[in-house]
Amino acid sequence: MKLTEIKLLNFRQFKGEQSFPLDTSDNKNVTLLFGANGAGKTTFLNAFTWAFYGKLSDDLEQKQRIVTDFVWRDVPFGGDISVSVEVAFEHEGTRFRAKRSVEVRKSSDEQGSTTSSLELWASTGGQSKLVDGPQQKIETILPRRLSQFFFFNGERIEDLVNQKAYAEVKQDIKTLLNLEHVEKALLHLPKVERKLSADLKKHGGDQASKLQEDIETSQDAAVALRETRSVLQDDLAALSEELQGVLDLLRKHAEAGPLQKQRDETEERLNAANQTKKDLEIERNHLVATRGYMAFAGAMSLKAQSIAAELHERGALPAPLKREFVEKLIDDGQCICGTDLVVGTDAMRSVEEWRSRAGLQSVEAAWQKLNGQVGQIADEREQLKQRLQKLASDIEKGRSQVDSLNGRLTELEVQVKNLPSEEIGRLEGKREDLQVRINDTNRKMGGLDDAIKLSETEVERLQTQLKSAEVANVLASMARRRMEAVQAVQKALQEILDIRSNDMRDRLDAKLKEVFSSITVKPYYPALTADFELGLYQDQADGSRLPVPKSTGENQILSLSFVAAVSQLAREVASQRVGADSSPDSGTYPIVMDAAFGSLDINYQRDVSRALAVMAPQMIVLVSKSQGQGQVLNELLPHVNHMGVFVAYSSNNVKDSETIELAGREHPFIETRSEIDWTELVEVGK
Amino acid sequence: MTNDKTSLTEEEVIQGLSLDAQALLQRVLEIERSRLHLSGSDATVVDDLHQVVKGIIA
Repeated sequence: MKLTEIKLLNFRQFKGEQSFPLDTSDNKNVTLLFGANGAGKTTFLNAFTWAFYGKLSDDLEQKQRIVTDFVWRDVPFGGDISVSVEVAFEHEGTRFRAKRSVEVRKSSDEQGSTTSSLELWASTGGQSKLVDGPQQKIETILPRRLSQFFFFNGERIEDLVNQKAYAEVKQDIKTLLNLEHVEKALLHLPKVERKLSADLKKHGGDQASKLQEDIETSQDAAVALRETRSVLQDDLAALSEELQGVLDLLRKHAEAGPLQKQRDETEERLNAANQTKKDLEIERNHLVATRGYMAFAGAMSLKAQSIAAELHERGALPAPLKREFVEKLIDDGQCICGTDLVVGTDAMRSVEEWRSRAGLQSVEAAWQKLNGQVGQIADEREQLKQRLQKLASDIEKGRSQVDSLNGRLTELEVQVKNLPSEEIGRLEGKREDLQVRINDTNRKMGGLDDAIKLSETEVERLQTQLKSAEVANVLASMARRRMEAVQAVQKALQEILDIRSNDMRDRLDAKLKEVFSSITVKPYYPALTADFELGLYQDQADGSRLPVPKSTGENQILSLSFVAAVSQLAREVASQRVGADSSPDSGTYPIVMDAAFGSLDINYQRDVSRALAVMAPQMIVLVSKSQGQGQVLNELLPHVNHMGVFVAYSSNNVKDSETIELAGREHPFIETRSEIDWTELVEVGK
Repeated sequence: MTNDKTSLTEEEVIQGLSLDAQALLQRVLEIERSRLHLSGSDATVVDDLHQVVKGIIA
């Protein structure tokens, strides 16, 4: 989606019909609009979301006053007023015009609630046609819940990265990154399978029908378990969010802060120590499972060696002479000492006796091998013993380190509790309570995971039986084939989802780090978890990392970096889609930012504007005079295609009018002593 | 793109399916994508997918 123009008619403070060009190019992708506080920047942002979705944001005051106040006052009772917002945009090679309008009849002095309607025209090659189901079409182009990434208020953007909200936006990210429809398919295909199974149960005969019944019972059990787990996961996210809030307060507290920092470090070390211990235990268990038998091979190998040695003593095992060599001497009729070997002579008898004592080459080879293996078994057994002893020692050290760190945490807890502040006592009590509830939830989720795994294993076992079960007729056989195909597709889609999720998470994580590091000077970095959750961290001297308590400014930078990274990745993903699973250009979205830089410091405003201008395909930036001039203007100006001012006409008779200097020229900014209050959007440069 | 557990690529996963299953997978994704943002379409999607399976494995 690329915005090309907006037209407003009597929409709140925008009196009469006003329009503004928004078209941009690859190099000139920014529209920069200046406005004083109250001039209409937030209303302008809302004009887009009202046009597309019929909604105004919660931060817009007096939402019911959709008609310009002056126009409303000027119309007699019983008169009608037209209000509309029309947004022109291009999407996938088609030009669209979305017009939301409402006819309001004045029946009192106060404006009441209204019902608007949306019309959408699409034109390709010069022909314009009204689109059926315009709201659905808009939803397919830019779903409403995704619009929060692209039409937002900079001062509230930090909400995007708080953990509770993040659970909701996680799904939106998956949509943008081409994952959601795969997830939907995985939800729908089991229902398709269930429809197909009705035929199998009906026509399949006793054995197949019974197996299918059992499969469905186990599948239903797994579904119920997953639903319970999902509820617990939401609980866990809410509890973790609350805990982080409490920890952040403790970190920022003058007295508790240093102790909390120590506790963070100790917990990080405890996590690392627990992980190391767990890894060692896994290695030990693997060794015991795969090579543990060697522990019992020691006596056996010694006994085998002893038996072999005794046989060797008795000449039953290969002697130093090989039989083939002695036989050749006899065949040649001459000993190695030069004596002729003649049948019946003592010399011949002596050599023949050697032949009976000499070993066969094959027997000797077997002996050599046996001897070698016995030796090797002994060596391996010794190595295994040493490795197991080392592992036992390391695990013990790990255990004692874990105990020591747990002890340290308890000490720190006591120190925090002993601080005289009531506020700290309250926070610490809350922290303990939340931690207990989190541990309890985790434990329950672990139990559910085991139960889900058991149900899944049972389903697989029964499905294997069903594959080879006899079925009564061709209808049942067909149903079974169809079900097998659906199962194969489900399995493949799950693998595809894993592959795409891993890839998207890694790419988004890398982009986010890149953007964030280009903006902030602090040694923090963002990281996405496997489950697409976002955190901010700082590396420690010992190689561990700690979560950073985020200030409002850091949350804003994190959120803006996140928007920039998502925007760029969505475009990349859209351009990489191939074949039937494709939707060209659908990853391109404009970014419309009100109060664009929130309360960021000037250097951050500069760096954020630089990063966004490069990464976003189209950006409409709404700024105040103080935010938008100076370094921000310098950064954005090379990218600006249209520049405008929300000229505020005010009936205020006390204050003087103001101008704004842009590109070397003065322009009206606030016009006081006006007869009426309204705003005019004026283009001042291109 | 590869799967961590198996190191398979997306293409390899698809190649591992029978031709019928490959065709089914492709149609399933097409249908799901086209209905992604339509509200209340779950039941009709399931019906449509059911018909697609019957059409491909006939």
